[in-house]
Amino acid sequence: MKKSAISIPILFCLLLIGGLSTAPAQTFDISSGGTPTITGNVSGSVVGSSSNTSNLNVVIDFGEVGPSNTNPVVKVVVPIAVRSLAPYRVTATVTGGNNSNPQAIQRSDVGFGLDNLRRMGFLSRTCNNSDHIFYSPFDNDPSSNVSYNAFGRATYPGDLGDIGSSTTILSGPTLSFLTAGRLSINGYIFDAIFTMTPQFYASGTTTTVITFSIASGPNVPC
Amino acid sequence: MKDINKINSLLVATLLVLIALAPMALAQSTTGTVNMSGTVSKFVEMNSAGAVTLTGNSGGGITTNGTLNNPLAVVINLGELGPANTNSFVTASVPLKLRSNAAYVLSMASTVTSTGTTANRITSADVGFGLGSVARTGVGVNTTGTDTNATSGDPTLPANGSVNATTGRYNFTAVRSNLSAFAASTTAMNGSFIMNAVPRANSNGLTVPAIFAVKPQFYENGSTTVSVTFTVTAP
Repeated sequence: MKKSAISIPILFCLLLIGGLSTAPAQTFDISSGGTPTITGNVSGSVVGSSSNTSNLNVVIDFGEVGPSNTNPVVKVVVPIAVRSLAPYRVTATVTGGNNSNPQAIQRSDVGFGLDNLRRMGFLSRTCNNSDHIFYSPFDNDPSSNVSYNAFGRATYPGDLGDIGSSTTILSGPTLSFLTAGRLSINGYIFDAIFTMTPQFYASGTTTTVITFSIASGPNVPC
Repeated sequence: MKDINKINSLLVATLLVLIALAPMALAQSTTGTVNMSGTVSKFVEMNSAGAVTLTGNSGGGITTNGTLNNPLAVVINLGELGPANTNSFVTASVPLKLRSNAAYVLSMASTVTSTGTTANRITSADVGFGLGSVARTGVGVNTTGTDTNATSGDPTLPANGSVNATTGRYNFTAVRSNLSAFAASTTAMNGSFIMNAVPRANSNGLTVPAIFAVKPQFYENGSTTVSVTFTVTAP
């Protein structure tokens, strides 16, 4: 009687652990890292989940980016959470955003950078033998690094024009302890920063989609 | 028995935690998306392109001058316009600066009122008007853009006016060369977009002088007020 009283829960635990280990759990995960924010906008908005266990699905409307917006920049900060049980890389792919009219908004008019990598919680893994690396030219806040080309147009160290098909923007050692499943305590969060300077663009509307992916990265030690 | 119960409780708690974690562990994705959009509305603006130039005047002066890159609000006293002023013309040149990200239309409307009561008073036809040379220069300006000046240019040019052989009165005779053509809002100039994709802080733009002229004559004595309003639009 005593043995069965103990063995039943143990059996359940073992079955569950066994089930978890054989379930198609992935080594990598990317999700929302919290509430995105927007500043300097006129009639703009940003919508995304405040939960870092929700899918990364953010909709940014920069609003008016013509000269009637007198703010120096429109800045959007999108927190992104990443988890892994192995060295990883984060890549970005851009679709849309180009225009045949050179005076209209182009991909290069959207500054893009990464900043502020931080631990999520006690199951975030700290590796002392390798660094997490923001790749150049995205290793900065573009809103703080606006310059102007010979034509007077605003430029940034990194922009969406620098992103081709599956461009690596971040890599590093293992991010998580025990599981890369969607927990709120077992990975890292970084900020993806998008910036536009209101200018005398040709009138119209522009739409761009950026897809972030996480996969196996350079085999660096933890 | 107590120990067994404790172990059981611990195992059950562990089980519950694992059960709670199980569905979350399966909620994974290796991709996420950010959709972004932005809007650019048509934009036009007109400001002063600098100080007003007044020539040929006798008395009078510039009461409120134009200030570069500030809204246009100029007040000019043309001084004596009767035969005591022996200059050929009293001319005021008001520099305008236009900026746009779309094709533009510059319109003008004017009113001329005089204390005189006869046909010899100063009327709108006696105030010559024209837009001078258009300049699209500077970084950020669409220098290849084109403009159509609907006026005849500097109203003091010989081609734009002459003494009427019948009445002896000097008339501004060319197309849209005097304010009678602008009693209602009328296009003075139009053209293609002015600014390339540069920030509004870039202060360059299209500049053009608005030239007003009056030929001193034996007008009926009195005072005359001329009010002109420029409007720029992006239709």
